[in-house]
Amino acid sequence: MTARQEPFSAAVTGLGLVTAAGVGAKATWHSVTQETVPSGVSHQEELADLPCDFMYTIADLDTTELLGVATQRLMDRFSQLAVIAAREAVADAGLDPESWDSGRVAVVIGSAHGGLPFYDQQHVAMAGRGARRVSPKLAPLTVVNSAASSVCMDLGAQGPSLGVATACSSGTVAVGTAHQLLRAGVCDIAIAGGAESVLSRLLIASACQMKAVSTRRDDPATACRPFDVGRDGFVVGEGAGLLVLERPEHANARRAPVRAHVRGYGASSDAYAAVAPDPEGNGIERALRSALADAQVQGRDVGHVNAHGTSTIVNDRVEATVLRRVLGDHPLVTSTKGMTGHALGAAGGIETALTVLALEQQLVPPTANLHVPDPRIPIDIVRTEARQAAFDCAVKTSLGFGGHNAALVLTR
Amino acid sequence: MNAAEVVNTLLVQRFGVSPADITDETPLRSLRLDSLALEELRVLIEERLDIDLDEVSLTPRNTVGQLVTAVDGNVPA
Repeated sequence: MTARQEPFSAAVTGLGLVTAAGVGAKATWHSVTQETVPSGVSHQEELADLPCDFMYTIADLDTTELLGVATQRLMDRFSQLAVIAAREAVADAGLDPESWDSGRVAVVIGSAHGGLPFYDQQHVAMAGRGARRVSPKLAPLTVVNSAASSVCMDLGAQGPSLGVATACSSGTVAVGTAHQLLRAGVCDIAIAGGAESVLSRLLIASACQMKAVSTRRDDPATACRPFDVGRDGFVVGEGAGLLVLERPEHANARRAPVRAHVRGYGASSDAYAAVAPDPEGNGIERALRSALADAQVQGRDVGHVNAHGTSTIVNDRVEATVLRRVLGDHPLVTSTKGMTGHALGAAGGIETALTVLALEQQLVPPTANLHVPDPRIPIDIVRTEARQAAFDCAVKTSLGFGGHNAALVLTR
Repeated sequence: MNAAEVVNTLLVQRFGVSPADITDETPLRSLRLDSLALEELRVLIEERLDIDLDEVSLTPRNTVGQLVTAVDGNVPA
């Protein structure tokens, strides 16, 4: 049975992005649309000698200068990135945390690994120097909800808040959850998206053992190449991407410029495997069809897809096949991960923000590093340069380890 | 570095306290150190001076001077 409701269009009024492609939404959008060689990926000392010893990181970001020591000490880096992105998104929306109705402001932020780096450091402290040298702030800094609570504290947001943990679809599920909270009327404003920062030798060593990440150590800048015939795995990136969503009448009442709408959300579970996606893509197909039904739009209405496109052999093939099956061959598809890296739980937040910008600018970013499209991939993938196009409806898809699938439908 | 210098340095560098706000009489809570911050500070002092402050009871009502005296009492002469 399907409990169908009228579509609900949440107004997107603000964006905040802190990524390896740039600090700020403007800088990130500029890189992903105007450049095709990523500058944010480099070898990392922390990862020395691992089969994958490189990662996408954010250069030129002085978090201590922006946050101050007293604020920063209570956050691991993923939360710091979330707070910086949230400040940008709220300012972009023209909202004033001094005067808003703070009990009506929700915060929903996804992350796959939370404060794993701090966990790592404290484990080293305990192993090397004993239990009495372990920091008392392990729990508050490392829990996945720490980005959400940090943003609440920083902005004085006092409505419902939560962390979302569905691995690499966390950011997309966070935006979808915010859409549902707004629709249910439990808040007027929701700050939603994802945050991740895992420069962790432990995690990357394991990802290498899993054979999930690229081992193109001689040329990190071309390692992440979504949909390319030579792709060999994803490349981890750090970052945060947050949106300010509002109930439409709330945005209208304060005459806020609306950048786009989140109109539909669908989620599903493969119930298939711990890591591999359902090879037929049935899970992501269900999520996508649910999102389209939620928005009451048809596949033919969708002009652009910001795909999950991780640059793993299986993900890109399965996802592309499903996009073709559900939407047809007309949408202009991109993966922006060649410029940002795979920011895991932040990816959906970053990419939903980029989808908003694509709708607003009527411009689809190119898929960086895609030079020889995999002939088994049956969709139109934008590459080489950004493509101008007319479209009123776009889709964001995400798949997470554990079989957590999510899709959003956005409209102008 | 003596106890006072270690405490002052940690308050400034690790907790973002302004040096001008630190006097012997200043209660730790007025430097925005809550109970979690004090436990963190305890570990940092122990690490820095290689001492054990396990028996020292610390509350945000204590002053900077009281903390320094307690640390001094645990530093081997």
